[in-house]
Amino acid sequence: MSQPTFEAVNLTKRYEDGVLALDHVSFEVHPGQIYAMLGANGAGKTTTINIFLNFLEPTEGEARINGVCTHTDPLAAKAQIAYVSENVMLYPAFTAMQNLEYFTRLGGRDHHTKDEYHRVLERVGLQREAHDKRLRGFSKGMRQKCGLAIAILKDAPAIVLDEPTSGLDPQAGYEFTQLLTALRDEGKAILMSTHDIFRAREIASTVGILNRGRLVMQRSAAELGGADLEQLYLEHIAGHAA
Amino acid sequence: MFTTVVMKELKGILLSQKFALTFGVVSVLILMSIVAGISEFTAGARQYDTAVQLAEQQLREASNWMAISARALRPPDPLVVFVSGVHNDIGRLSSINGHEAVKLLNSVYADDPIFAVFRSLDLMFIVQVVLSLFAILFTYDAITGERESGTLQLSLANPLPRRTFILAKATGIWAGLLLSLSVPMILGLLVVSLAGVPLSDSDWMRIGALFVGSLLYFTVWVAGGIAVSTWTRTPSASFMACLVLWIATVLILPRVGVLAAEQLVGVPTVAEVDAQKDGFEKAAWEKQMAGLSERWKKREEAMQGFSKEQREAYRDAHMWQWMQEEDAGRKAVQTEIDAYGLRLQEDLRNKRSAQERLAFTLARTSPAAIYQLASMQIARTSVTLKNATETSMEEYRSQFTAHVEKKQQESGGTGGFKITVDSEKGFSFSSPRERGTLDISDLPRYQWNPTPVGQLLADAGWDGLLLAVFALASLALAVIGFHRYDVR
Amino acid sequence: MLRLLIIKEIRDIVGSTKFAVTFGVCSLLVLLVFIVGARAYHTAVGQHDAAKRENLRRMEGITDWMQVHDMNVYMPPQPLSALVAGVAHDIGRTVTVEGRGELTAHDSRYSDEPMLAVFRQFDLEFLFTVVLSLFAILFAFDAVSGEKERGTLRLTFASPVPRRTFIAGKLLGAYLTLVVSLLLPIAAGSALLIVMGVPMTGDDWVRLTLIIAAGFLYLGVFLSLSVLVSAMTTRSTTSFLVLLVVWIVAVLIVPRAAVLFAGRAVDVPSVDAVAAQKAKFSAGLWGDDRSAMAAFKPSKSGDMQAVMQEFQQMMQKLADDRDRKMREFASRVNEERRNRQDVQEAVAFGLARITPAACFTLAATRLAGTSFEMKQHFLAATERYQKAFGEFMVAKTGMNPGGRMVVLRVVVGDEKKPEPINTAEIPAFSYAPMQVADVAGGTALDILLLLAVNLFFIVGAVAAFLRYDVR
Repeated sequence: MSQPTFEAVNLTKRYEDGVLALDHVSFEVHPGQIYAMLGANGAGKTTTINIFLNFLEPTEGEARINGVCTHTDPLAAKAQIAYVSENVMLYPAFTAMQNLEYFTRLGGRDHHTKDEYHRVLERVGLQREAHDKRLRGFSKGMRQKCGLAIAILKDAPAIVLDEPTSGLDPQAGYEFTQLLTALRDEGKAILMSTHDIFRAREIASTVGILNRGRLVMQRSAAELGGADLEQLYLEHIAGHAA
Repeated sequence: MFTTVVMKELKGILLSQKFALTFGVVSVLILMSIVAGISEFTAGARQYDTAVQLAEQQLREASNWMAISARALRPPDPLVVFVSGVHNDIGRLSSINGHEAVKLLNSVYADDPIFAVFRSLDLMFIVQVVLSLFAILFTYDAITGERESGTLQLSLANPLPRRTFILAKATGIWAGLLLSLSVPMILGLLVVSLAGVPLSDSDWMRIGALFVGSLLYFTVWVAGGIAVSTWTRTPSASFMACLVLWIATVLILPRVGVLAAEQLVGVPTVAEVDAQKDGFEKAAWEKQMAGLSERWKKREEAMQGFSKEQREAYRDAHMWQWMQEEDAGRKAVQTEIDAYGLRLQEDLRNKRSAQERLAFTLARTSPAAIYQLASMQIARTSVTLKNATETSMEEYRSQFTAHVEKKQQESGGTGGFKITVDSEKGFSFSSPRERGTLDISDLPRYQWNPTPVGQLLADAGWDGLLLAVFALASLALAVIGFHRYDVR
Repeated sequence: MLRLLIIKEIRDIVGSTKFAVTFGVCSLLVLLVFIVGARAYHTAVGQHDAAKRENLRRMEGITDWMQVHDMNVYMPPQPLSALVAGVAHDIGRTVTVEGRGELTAHDSRYSDEPMLAVFRQFDLEFLFTVVLSLFAILFAFDAVSGEKERGTLRLTFASPVPRRTFIAGKLLGAYLTLVVSLLLPIAAGSALLIVMGVPMTGDDWVRLTLIIAAGFLYLGVFLSLSVLVSAMTTRSTTSFLVLLVVWIVAVLIVPRAAVLFAGRAVDVPSVDAVAAQKAKFSAGLWGDDRSAMAAFKPSKSGDMQAVMQEFQQMMQKLADDRDRKMREFASRVNEERRNRQDVQEAVAFGLARITPAACFTLAATRLAGTSFEMKQHFLAATERYQKAFGEFMVAKTGMNPGGRMVVLRVVVGDEKKPEPINTAEIPAFSYAPMQVADVAGGTALDILLLLAVNLFFIVGAVAAFLRYDVR
């Protein structure tokens, strides 16, 4: 099998206050796969993402992007990763285009033309007339689209999403998942955390359930088959809480 | 990548509503302070000119060399337009004559306390107090704000070294604020040059130095604000921290230095010194009087047994010599008094200088104080102005008195009037040396010779260096703080 | 309901870190002001006593009152002027009294010690006008807009709360917290004054209380203005910016601009011009008298003492005459200048009173006896002293010295050594700052103005909030 794009090896994080946020978590995400992390608030989903982004250093273990360790060589790792946060916040005083251009350049891609920016914004579903409007008046769905546009333009093999569809209306949520599957089909590896069991079931290649820092269940779409994911989720959470 | 962040910061500042508002206020403030400064300077210059004329007229009207008294006046420096310093606090003039020591009197604020109520509003004050506040306003949330809004995470999800990010951010904010500040500053300079303030090349050089100093000071605050934002978590926390830092630096630290120096180094007051000098003067004259009595007694004794005619003849023969003896004695006393006065003055100045040195060394823990002291130094309105003026006036006084002495001798003996009550000759009053006006054409006039620009700039240069160190240290703190910043 | 809202408001403010920091800083600053004031007072007393002592010492050993030419009087330090410096350090503290002639004050503290003038004194007036007003803004700039941002405003108005009650609760809560949290360090500072041995009279305490009351009114202006602005903006950052600009204009600019404008608009003859005019007149008088002196012929010759006496009497008469004429002239010239100055002051302070900062400064300095009128008040006191001193000298020597007349007495023959004079006999100078009753009238206007502005902003805040979009 090819080299995994995301690779968590015995990822462990203990905070200074002693809380064990991640406890020897290991998983892989390969190109063309979507890995959905499920779990209650505080289960360790965001901590995992923060380690992949080098916002946190693991206490033990390693997170790798295409084989590059995120905490020993953060810049090389970050060159290959794009990030869409739960609530994409861009500079409110800038237009969508200006934000896009800025963040794309930060990502190290400064060869794009204006047309390409427009094309990508249109691809993520942002109406042409909104391109040159300031972000101040944008709805959450529109901001989320901008965030994804930034990720697309960065053209990174790895994309991390932190609860990207929470708070979106059904239409926006649907469009968003469509885009994700399209990206997956282009060969991107996608790591996302979500509370949305229905959507995870629908698009994920692999589903992992985290509870109190431990990966308590991990099944591929094939392994899941026709099982009721919601039932499984509740079982695993309850089983370990007890 | 560096330039991308810089450009984004620049754009971010220039597009913000905060910027539009503050830019307007700052522009108005700067221009107003300069206009006010010009008006203050021209009024001061006019007052100086009239005072010089009046003093000259008084000299011309003087009728005898003994009573002649000149007035030495301190002209306002054109840079008062930008930095009032202690210009309004210390005396504008001193009487120059043989019997009084140099003493600066009639400060602007003492003459017209109305102007002292709210003090003056100069560019230095605007930069020191208002611009520093604005620098904070634009930097306090540099990191915390982006963290709270989530853009920091998005930015750092990119292969962007943290050092590059923070330095680019600092550069962007700095450049944005500075570019916008230069507009009203340049406008202000234009107003100054159009308003007819007489500025020489060296004055322009000093103005240049003043602007470099302001720039450095401003940079310290920009870097300081960013540093604070890398050591705090939320914008409101950074704002409070910045405000506390600002109050401590601008309002408290400078004064604490002075207070401490006052406690540590004791200096006698002027009133005390004056009274001491008066006491010495009185005692010296007393002694002289006693000697005089003694001498007259001896002279009387020498005439013991003379007949009335013999006495007359003896007296007439010796009178001139006696007068000269007395005159010499009188002069010796005056010299002694002058020397004592100068010694006291010197002593006072030394003690005061020591106190000032300590005070300002302590105060220099605050960049606000460094900036203020350097600006005053450059504008020649620092505390040394008093000593410098007094010293140069003392030099003038010795020239003046030497000249008057010579003239007096040429015109023969003392002036004034003399009352003689003699038990034999009875009462007589004479004012022998009155003869209309005097020829004062070659009487030396006071020339204000300011400290040379080179020396001023060299002194202020150290302060500039110190400011640069503060700026770099703040920047280093910001880089270190951001390096270990938890961006979550 | 109102009580509930007030309590919530107080709890909300007191519980915040913002409050903890500002309260800490304010307390520190207030205490610092009082400590600095007390120290400054003691330093000033030390200087004053030393100067007075030296002044008397220089007369030691003098055996003849005739040789006492002048007397230096010094402005005694006042406890309140150490707390509210006003122009106390700018005007001369020493006046040389010669028995006659015009008096000028010299040796101002700042001209003697320019070191102090560099950063000026950190006093109560500065603390209130500049620092505490800024804190008052910090207290309340997000009173309404902040609650909107946090979403608590919607929640509050989901309950049956009248808007009027809500805003009243906000205002009252903020006022109460501010006053109480400042009163604590101020009370501690006042206690420090007593501990540090500053002799405050009952009148001083009354004046200090009034100053602090005026200070609270002044802070109230910024507090209610902050609530008003926060009820007119939707974002707290906007309200802060607006308030900061208003603060800069009101505190830093308007007062100075007003004085500057008056200084240029109303032309007052310079001190030098007046002095030159007087000098010229005086020279003319001297010229006349000189010839009169020369024409002096003693009525009976021989007795030296008698001749001397007679001459002195003539000199005295001449001097009195000269003095009278000079005084008439000087008072005319001075009055002209004084009148112009009055106009200037009226324009300057009339304009400056647009801003509460100027109202407070004027009220506080007047109450502390350190207003711009201090110079005149001090000179008037020395004027009175000069009269007493002149009369004393006449009683002692039969003449008013009125200047530096060197009496050269050559004593031929033995005489018994005369007793030194007793300097304690010289009348003492006393300077009393204006009492509460004297300054009450002048301050009332400023205090009323402050009250009016407070009311105006409170009403404005209520009106603005009634129309506020709470969504």
